Amino acid sequence: MPQFRESLWRIFATFFVIGLQSFGGGTATFFLIHQASRRHGWLPEEQFLQYWALSQMTPGIGLAKMTLLIGKRLHGWPGLAAAIAGLMLPSALITTLMTAGYAVVQDRPLVKAAMRGILPATIGLTLALSWDLGKPLLIVARADGKAHLALAAGLILSAALLFTLAQASPVVILLLAGALFWLSRGIFKPQRPENPAADA
Amino acid sequence: MIQPLQFFLIFLKASLLSFGGLGNLPFLHADLIALGWAQEPDFLTAIAVGQMSPGPSGLWSISLGYLTYGWPGAALSLIALLVPPFLILPLVALYTRVDGHPGVKSFSNGLMLGAIGLLLGTAGVLSGTVITDAWALVIVAVTAGLALTKRLPTIVILLLAALAGVVIYT
Repeated sequence: MPQFRESLWRIFATFFVIGLQSFGGGTATFFLIHQASRRHGWLPEEQFLQYWALSQMTPGIGLAKMTLLIGKRLHGWPGLAAAIAGLMLPSALITTLMTAGYAVVQDRPLVKAAMRGILPATIGLTLALSWDLGKPLLIVARADGKAHLALAAGLILSAALLFTLAQASPVVILLLAGALFWLSRGIFKPQRPENPAADA
Repeated sequence: MIQPLQFFLIFLKASLLSFGGLGNLPFLHADLIALGWAQEPDFLTAIAVGQMSPGPSGLWSISLGYLTYGWPGAALSLIALLVPPFLILPLVALYTRVDGHPGVKSFSNGLMLGAIGLLLGTAGVLSGTVITDAWALVIVAVTAGLALTKRLPTIVILLLAALAGVVIYT
């Protein structure tokens, strides 16, 4: 019998609350999932980021994949079911109800004005999240020398630009970034040993 | 007359061929318009609702499902959205077996840096339509700052932003 790290109820309730309050699209949802994972100590930052990177490489909604992975890690298959149900049920229900009521609210100036406040806020949340996720990686890169720090920062920026300006496919961008970083390890030898045990 | 199975398969195909957000839009648009099951205004409404409603932005197609086929349509499109994400499980299982090998670890670090870049890129793409004036920039800066301090719950930050929108734009 494996030892489960989190109760099913807590998994469901946490994702349910995330599904209810993440107004303004996926970026707010992602921010909330990251915050919950950090608050409950669900998975190390590096693992979280690795899941997110891998989630970009298979089809479908990325946040649903994160939710499946976190739920399964915390409580096996039942945990997976609790997490995804918690995330999707309230959001899907509210989306449907809002569609049904859309004709009533769509031209209310108040609703439009509120949305004009919320949408830039989700961009602000995304910037904060990028910083939270990127900082630990940049700190590690700095420990490996200035060249590595520049390379890491350059990779982040080039990926962002390729995606925004060239509309390159996320899968291609990620594979390029992985390959470049892998090649660079051969060129700039890190001062730190690369043995995973030394990372802990 | 809408055929439930065909309806589901159209939504499933769109979801299997896309990576979230509005990625499934071109497929749904082509298939549903060709069959006469949806009209242009359905798409515009669904996209607008998807921007407002909570949860991942890919949920906009649930709204489209409801507009074209009522509650059964909403349920079928939800199921169609839930199936493809499961493909991540074998990928992660495979990756975990090779992870820890030094070469894989560097590759993985590159992937993570790229993923952060994509996140910033998403913010960049969004800002094209969302940042229409200086006030929007102020809201971006203030919410980013508030989020970084981690003092306020996210829902409070979003409510403050909604309030700011109401105060500024009405």
